[in-house]
Amino acid sequence: MIGQRLGFRSDRATQFIDITQRLRDEVHRSGLIDGRLHLQSLHTTVGLAVNENEPLLLLDFENLLERVAPAGNGYEHDDFGRRFEVAVDEPVNGHAHCRQLLLAAVATLLVEDGELVLGRWQSVFAVELDGPRHRQLALQLDGDFAHQQRKARSNGSDVLVELELTRQLLVDPEPVAAPMRRLVEAGGKRLRPKLVQLTAGIGPRHDPLRAAELAAAVELLHNATLIHDDYVDESTHRRGRPTVAAAEGPERAIAVGDYYFAKATRLIAQIGNRQVTSAIAEALEAICASQIDDVALRGAYPGDRDSYLRVVRGKTAALFAAACAAGALLSESRPEVVEALRRYGDLVGTAFQMADDMVDFSPSSGKPVGLDIRQRVLSLPLIYAAEDKRVGPEVRQLLAGSLQDGEVDRVAELVMSSEALSRVRVEAEALVDEAVRELESVELDGLRPTLIDLARSAVDRIA
Amino acid sequence: MTAQVIDRELERLEGLWTDGLSDAYRDYMDAVSDFEQAAQPKLALAAGLVEVGIRLQSLGGRAAPPPLLLMGDLCLARASRLLADAAPQSVQVAFATAIESMSLAAAAGNAQPATRELLIRAFEAVR
Repeated sequence: MIGQRLGFRSDRATQFIDITQRLRDEVHRSGLIDGRLHLQSLHTTVGLAVNENEPLLLLDFENLLERVAPAGNGYEHDDFGRRFEVAVDEPVNGHAHCRQLLLAAVATLLVEDGELVLGRWQSVFAVELDGPRHRQLALQLDGDFAHQQRKARSNGSDVLVELELTRQLLVDPEPVAAPMRRLVEAGGKRLRPKLVQLTAGIGPRHDPLRAAELAAAVELLHNATLIHDDYVDESTHRRGRPTVAAAEGPERAIAVGDYYFAKATRLIAQIGNRQVTSAIAEALEAICASQIDDVALRGAYPGDRDSYLRVVRGKTAALFAAACAAGALLSESRPEVVEALRRYGDLVGTAFQMADDMVDFSPSSGKPVGLDIRQRVLSLPLIYAAEDKRVGPEVRQLLAGSLQDGEVDRVAELVMSSEALSRVRVEAEALVDEAVRELESVELDGLRPTLIDLARSAVDRIA
Repeated sequence: MTAQVIDRELERLEGLWTDGLSDAYRDYMDAVSDFEQAAQPKLALAAGLVEVGIRLQSLGGRAAPPPLLLMGDLCLARASRLLADAAPQSVQVAFATAIESMSLAAAAGNAQPATRELLIRAFEAVR
């Protein structure tokens, strides 16, 4: 239920003020889909009416009120000498009170499919009976709101994806399922499957089960790339648990990564939508090509912004973009919607990676500060710090040598003391703004606010 | 598939053509004669890339160093994209199943099935 006040100013003694459009705007703003709008006058000389907004008819109404309760007709209420506690500015308005008695003080209007239910000639009026004055109406909206429906749908979809992931891991043999299960159960943000689910609800063919299958396959694919990444980066922990390579050896890590790479592509192929299969396959190729570039760039660490963006768009953003496009394709969205969502995913993915880079310098992130530096992972804050006039020379000098704990701490300290982090923050937020703009020109079946929230949450970690 | 197209498909994997991929490609061409002519080179190259990718990763053997693992990943990913372009759904599924069985054998410490036999059988999934 949403409650609020609707203010207005009358400029005549008796005036029919059409508030229909304002009420429509409030319904749209609230996201009320099906329910009721309750309206209540907060004044004893303001009434409510639902009737036709035809100027001569409104004059008829005013004349009617004047005939039934004429002003200055010797109302008892206006005999101040006989009343107690009369305010200094008490108006002579017995006629206005009597007129209000003939009108409603409360009204309930129905809302269906996000619109006020009104007949062709019906308008809603606040009827001023003792103006001119500032006035207020109380407004309440109750029923089913879009954000509640979206949340319920999203919660249901989340459960479906988790069930699908569990189901897929249950049918797999233990040598591969056990390490993947540990990784999946350790959490993760599940942004990619979330993007699949959301965008799969946009087009005319919404099938939550197929969307969950695709979303789960995309998550398995992402995790398969992480397993190989961790071996390449010599990472010992991910999501607070030992990596597959650290716990079970690189041979097992390679095999498990390959198994789920193949399994995910099989699950996607079995969905039977060639465009979806191609979208994910192209993203996977971009990820792998960028991984090679990423490792090659470590020779010129920390690299430059252009190289960084090229790698990040492949390594991270490609799967975000493909997840968005694949969901939209699955639901048979229009081509312009698919392309807008693909661009949205690309921008959000890039912003997400920038935010992730910044987390490496946050002592409250739960991860050891400077892990990216230690592993010589491409990082935009580090690139900007290396370009910085004040700290750049020392950063570059330290990065050129071997990186022990002392050097890593010092580099992190220099990055944090420079403008690098704020530059990255501004850049990531600008990408999110650009992503949000991509959504403006296409019809998204009410999902725009959720996609905007998701884009903002991708960089909220750096707020 | 023209030489130019093959060149494009070998971006970042250039050295592999003379390191076994061309031989594998020619052998797999014999296995794809039942497919549409335009699809045959893509399918043969996809199979060759899977075979070479698995070899680069030393799947079932001692872990490949990271650069070779990543090249192997790119081989598998590119093969997957070529199959998405040119293969019927049943062949895409059969190829994925073949890689699943090879990687499962490696994870479980079992003997590796013969890659080429598996992939040629995968092409038969359409028949």
